[in-house]
Amino acid sequence: MKKLTLVVVIVIIVGAVWLSNRTPDSPFAAQSAAVPSAALIQQGEYVARLSDCVACHTIPEQPAFSGGLKMATPIGAIYSTNITPDKQTGIGNYSLADFDRVLRHGVAPDGHRLYPAMPYPSYAKLHDDDVKALYAYFMHGVAPVAQVNHSSEIPWPLNMRWPLAFWSVLFTDGGSYQPQADKDEKWNRGAYLVQGPGHCGSCHTPRGLAMQEKALDESSEQFLAGALLDGWYAPSLRNDINIGVGRWSDEDIYQFLKNGRNKHAVVYGSMTDAYNNSTQFMSDDDLYAIAHYLKSLPSNPQLDGKAWQHQPTTVSTEMATQPGAHTYMTRCAACHGSDGMGREQWIPPLAGATSMLTHHDASAINITLNGSSRIVSQGVPDAYRMPPFRQQLSDQEIADVLSFIRTTWGNHGGDVAVDEVQAMRHDTDPASSDVIILQMR
Amino acid sequence: MKPLTQSVDGQFAELTQEVPVNVSRRRFLLSSAGLAAGALVLGVGIPLRQARAAEQQQLPAGTRVPAFLQITPDNQIYFQSPFVEGGQGIFTAMAQIVGEELDADPASFIVENAPTGADFQVMIAGPGRITGGSMSVRFSYPVMRRLGALARQMLLQAAATEWKVAITELTTEPGKVLHGASNRSLTYGELASKALDLPVPDPDSVSLKDPKDFRWIGKSVERIDVYEKSTGKAQYSIDMKVDGMLHAAVQHAPRLGMTVGDILNLAQVKAMRGVHSVHILEGAGAVAVVAPHWWDAKRAAEAVQVDWQAAKGEEQNNVRHMPADFSSEAFSELLAKRTDKGQDAEAKGDAVKLLDAAAPEALVSATYRTQYVHHAQLEPPSALARFDDNGALELWLPNQAPDMFLADVAKRTGLPANKITINSPILGGFFGRHFLYNTANPYPQAIELARKIGKPVKLIWSREEEFLRDPLRPMAAVRLRAALQDKAPVALEVISSCEGPTEGIYGHNPQKVDETAVEGLAGKSYEIPNVRIAQDYVKNPTMLAYWRSVGNSMNDFVYECFLDEVADKAGVDPYEMRKQLLKDNPRLSHLLDVVVQSAGGWKRGPFTAEDGSKRARGIAMASPFGTEAASIAEVSIENGTVRVHHVWEAIDPGSIVNPAIIEAQVNSAVALGLSQVLMEEVVYKNGKPLARNYDMYPILRPYEMAKVHVSIVESGAKMGGIGEPGLPSVPPAVVNAVSQLLGRRIRSMPLSRESLQG
Amino acid sequence: MELWNDMKLQINQQTYDVDVAEDTPLLWVIRDNLGMTGTKYGCGLAQCGACSVLIDGEVVRSCVMPASYAEGKQIITIEAIEQDDVGKRVVNAWVNHQVPQCGYCQSGQVMAATALLKATPYPTHEEISAAMGNLCRCGTYNAIEAAIDELAKEAKVEGTA
Repeated sequence: MKKLTLVVVIVIIVGAVWLSNRTPDSPFAAQSAAVPSAALIQQGEYVARLSDCVACHTIPEQPAFSGGLKMATPIGAIYSTNITPDKQTGIGNYSLADFDRVLRHGVAPDGHRLYPAMPYPSYAKLHDDDVKALYAYFMHGVAPVAQVNHSSEIPWPLNMRWPLAFWSVLFTDGGSYQPQADKDEKWNRGAYLVQGPGHCGSCHTPRGLAMQEKALDESSEQFLAGALLDGWYAPSLRNDINIGVGRWSDEDIYQFLKNGRNKHAVVYGSMTDAYNNSTQFMSDDDLYAIAHYLKSLPSNPQLDGKAWQHQPTTVSTEMATQPGAHTYMTRCAACHGSDGMGREQWIPPLAGATSMLTHHDASAINITLNGSSRIVSQGVPDAYRMPPFRQQLSDQEIADVLSFIRTTWGNHGGDVAVDEVQAMRHDTDPASSDVIILQMR
Repeated sequence: MKPLTQSVDGQFAELTQEVPVNVSRRRFLLSSAGLAAGALVLGVGIPLRQARAAEQQQLPAGTRVPAFLQITPDNQIYFQSPFVEGGQGIFTAMAQIVGEELDADPASFIVENAPTGADFQVMIAGPGRITGGSMSVRFSYPVMRRLGALARQMLLQAAATEWKVAITELTTEPGKVLHGASNRSLTYGELASKALDLPVPDPDSVSLKDPKDFRWIGKSVERIDVYEKSTGKAQYSIDMKVDGMLHAAVQHAPRLGMTVGDILNLAQVKAMRGVHSVHILEGAGAVAVVAPHWWDAKRAAEAVQVDWQAAKGEEQNNVRHMPADFSSEAFSELLAKRTDKGQDAEAKGDAVKLLDAAAPEALVSATYRTQYVHHAQLEPPSALARFDDNGALELWLPNQAPDMFLADVAKRTGLPANKITINSPILGGFFGRHFLYNTANPYPQAIELARKIGKPVKLIWSREEEFLRDPLRPMAAVRLRAALQDKAPVALEVISSCEGPTEGIYGHNPQKVDETAVEGLAGKSYEIPNVRIAQDYVKNPTMLAYWRSVGNSMNDFVYECFLDEVADKAGVDPYEMRKQLLKDNPRLSHLLDVVVQSAGGWKRGPFTAEDGSKRARGIAMASPFGTEAASIAEVSIENGTVRVHHVWEAIDPGSIVNPAIIEAQVNSAVALGLSQVLMEEVVYKNGKPLARNYDMYPILRPYEMAKVHVSIVESGAKMGGIGEPGLPSVPPAVVNAVSQLLGRRIRSMPLSRESLQG
Repeated sequence: MELWNDMKLQINQQTYDVDVAEDTPLLWVIRDNLGMTGTKYGCGLAQCGACSVLIDGEVVRSCVMPASYAEGKQIITIEAIEQDDVGKRVVNAWVNHQVPQCGYCQSGQVMAATALLKATPYPTHEEISAAMGNLCRCGTYNAIEAAIDELAKEAKVEGTA
């Protein structure tokens, strides 16, 4: 018995060592690097926009793609890396196959495994053509920058990376996106963009115990069903009336991704980065394809609950005895209106807002405490921004005003507890009011 | 109201045509606003008078009556004030003082800020002409009275000539000259055109009124500007407009000293609709966008993507290079950890020896900290610049000292002074913001743009750009030690590690302590035999400025709170301690009595108020700008936030001009003092201010205001200031109350930093 | 997204044609395009209230009001405040109580008080506090409160008479 156990252990170890040291296959293994065409580089830049590489690999005031973005994880901070073609500190020595392995499999040329902060489970779905184009762009469209990578602050033994190999095997489904024959081209293009380069699920799909996305495509009703991440509730992108895009038309989705705003909502939180750096640069065809695909995802009534019914109310001075209404009058009504309807597409309504309908109150608390960062649309910063209120309102006042908003105008998100505000205040920083434009060149 | 849809040119034409001899109050204000581009002012006649007056003999400042006064046939008195109105009521005070001796109702005055020139350098033994340091009235009072008396004399002379009677037979009553013998009278308006052409009498030939006969001075005369300010008619720099003007907005470098490398999206910004042109302002480290409308300029200026270059080379002209890693928190820590003994600002006896020898039970020591604060005046800075065809420059800009600004403009542009005209509209708040600050005034940028594009330009700094470039009230860490003997302090040492605002602005002199760094610490009236007050100079990376009540705004907090600690250690009530230390000073002893009486007697608390809240009171004093002040604050703590219910403040400026304005100024100073102590703090991280607007830099809101109970004491001592002196005693009174309520000492501002739960 | 538009705005009973970007704040249309400078710019972020105007009787902060949203609505600025009975009383009270100091915020304060008293002739302390949130750096808050208290009392006397 003992012997058998030992054998099993040895087999597991050997298997584990093999697995964790294994170099994944790449279709490009045999290919040599030729100077790519300008068109290919340009296509690569577009794929980089689709994939929003810049959001993590560039920080303000630093050269494009030189890395250094600090990402807090529960086990310590990690930093994004230099992905410029610098040969010493960047990826200048990567072959196309090396690039592919890191991009689609999360394995660096030296064999170490990337933390899944790099969304390779999604990038795994990239078409070979797009990988090639992206490689051409990073090798020839980006200037090399000598910038040594910042080492992670994750302590031993948690900093050992080989277990990530198992994570990778368990939670990526491998292979690039395969079109579904029973769907039209537009749907398939949308599905590809959402699941692959767009990596929408990274934020919008709930994660399991191992922090893996619970689904990577529409085969599961968990896919894009809304999730809590980094102090924000990324809403459902399914046809849920309350917490999703059930009330939005294809055109509304297009407007939102193209302009950062529509009559229902304005981008905020982490979506501002995705909008500023990625979605606004997508072609109209691609945006409509995304809209078309998302609108095909059915609602989950169990999660979504009873559909919002607008109950028009005008908040007036007579209601001022209620502390939440009092704060609404003095701090919120100037922009969001005494009727909670906002100002067309310029300032979003709070009546019927997803953040006020979901029982997750993270986004409502976070944006009230910290405000929104600047939305930059076609190079022009927004005319109106949500200011942070952390310096002006106490935890109790924020809890009161959000409880008021989340139970008025038919909103049914429910009350907000003071200690949740307190915890969020402690864990977060206010959004900068600076206009931040991350350059790609 | 007429619709304003016609062209800009049309408006001017219409307004100019309407300018009558009989200028309405409204029109005059518009003219002072520069709306008429000179034409209206000529209509009123003041420049003509000046021209004529200039041909006269050399006269001492403050005596050339026609330069100051114009009286229209309908008895409106137009007065050119040497001091700018920014809320402190100086235009009304000037009308009272001049009107008193002229014998004209202050209500008949229309006042605007005088042009530059020697005539208006009216401050006795002072800096000539500035509006600041709470100096306006106290440094010009006799001069302005004499001016009124001279004008009256000229009107009497004109009447005597007209009636061919002896001047001694004439008297005045408000607004008119009387000849009792013949029962004739002429209004000032009827006499003015002749009177003001007469030579100005010898300044020594007129006598001033006996104060007991004052009709207006010392009375709560109504302010002359409240109606215009309640109806949106008052015009500030930001409202100025001239023919053919364009607007400009800027984007400043995120850190001072950085320069423009490249504009990455120049073509895109130039193509934005409504944009006239885009300019790099090298000297200012800024990019400007010019447009017919400010909003379009502002959006485009924000859209400019600049490749900012790190500051290079040595700092020049005291333009400080902001380090990329500067943190105000770390700087405060650095100041607090200093051990340098500093340079003496005041020394009597041998405080250090006594302190070093003192037994621990007789020694009190503490380190206090103060913070950077913004002026946060509500009107964002602006400047309108216009060159005429002959290259002469006319400017409209907020300022507290027009002649200093003129000299600076001449230096920067190379233009001779006589080719520069400075217009100084009323200020939408100032609190020290509108002095000459090398990097913090928009006018050099406006001048550069007007010159570049050949058209008048009005530049407005957005609130965000203002909070980026507003120079700050300095911060300090102050180490204090006191030794006790017989339940009283026998020795005191105070070392402030800081940079004073004056040396911050004009440069540090290693031989000399900056008085504005230690005012509020040095020169106290308390009877302590051994005292050492010192400054330990530490240069700031930030640009510095004067802020309402200057050094006193932070130092009285430090000193007066520490005094409470000393009293506690001695086991003496802090009010009793102050009484004891001031027992040989009748003026201050009386002031203490007055403030305590107005508060219904002294009770420190904690006590339970009628509404059930637990409250305490604190007391503090200050001697800023020649005035004495004492405050009592009553506080409670609600949900971890300090609530100040009442402030009783007694103030003794020696002698007074307008009690209603004093009460308003004390209210105002209390508000700013509360704002500072409760919530204000400029925080820098990574070389940038965290707050670029009021969202992250909250200032006192209506519901946070205390009820203010003002007692004015007129001791007859030399006249002191009013605009600032109400402030410094407020923060320590509040903090002393809070410390008493909490049962532990608070040693830094603002209180919003503290966890006050429980 | 650069949407420019010919708009018709109803301000102080007059119709004005303006050609501005849709999201231009009403404040700048009033101040710049139309030259009415009584409405002030203080923060541009709905923090201070210096830009308050009335839209269909409700007080709004014009610095965060997209001009396109104000189309077709009745806008009243400080320039026309005395044409309103309540507004005139508010101005008188402001003068009686000598409220303004620097005066920069006072157009907005007067607009806010007018809106409050039009909707609520006898406001309670809570209602005053909810309606009068505009900032004043000179600290005229006590004078403002005194002026409104007096107006509320007057209204009560008239109301019961």
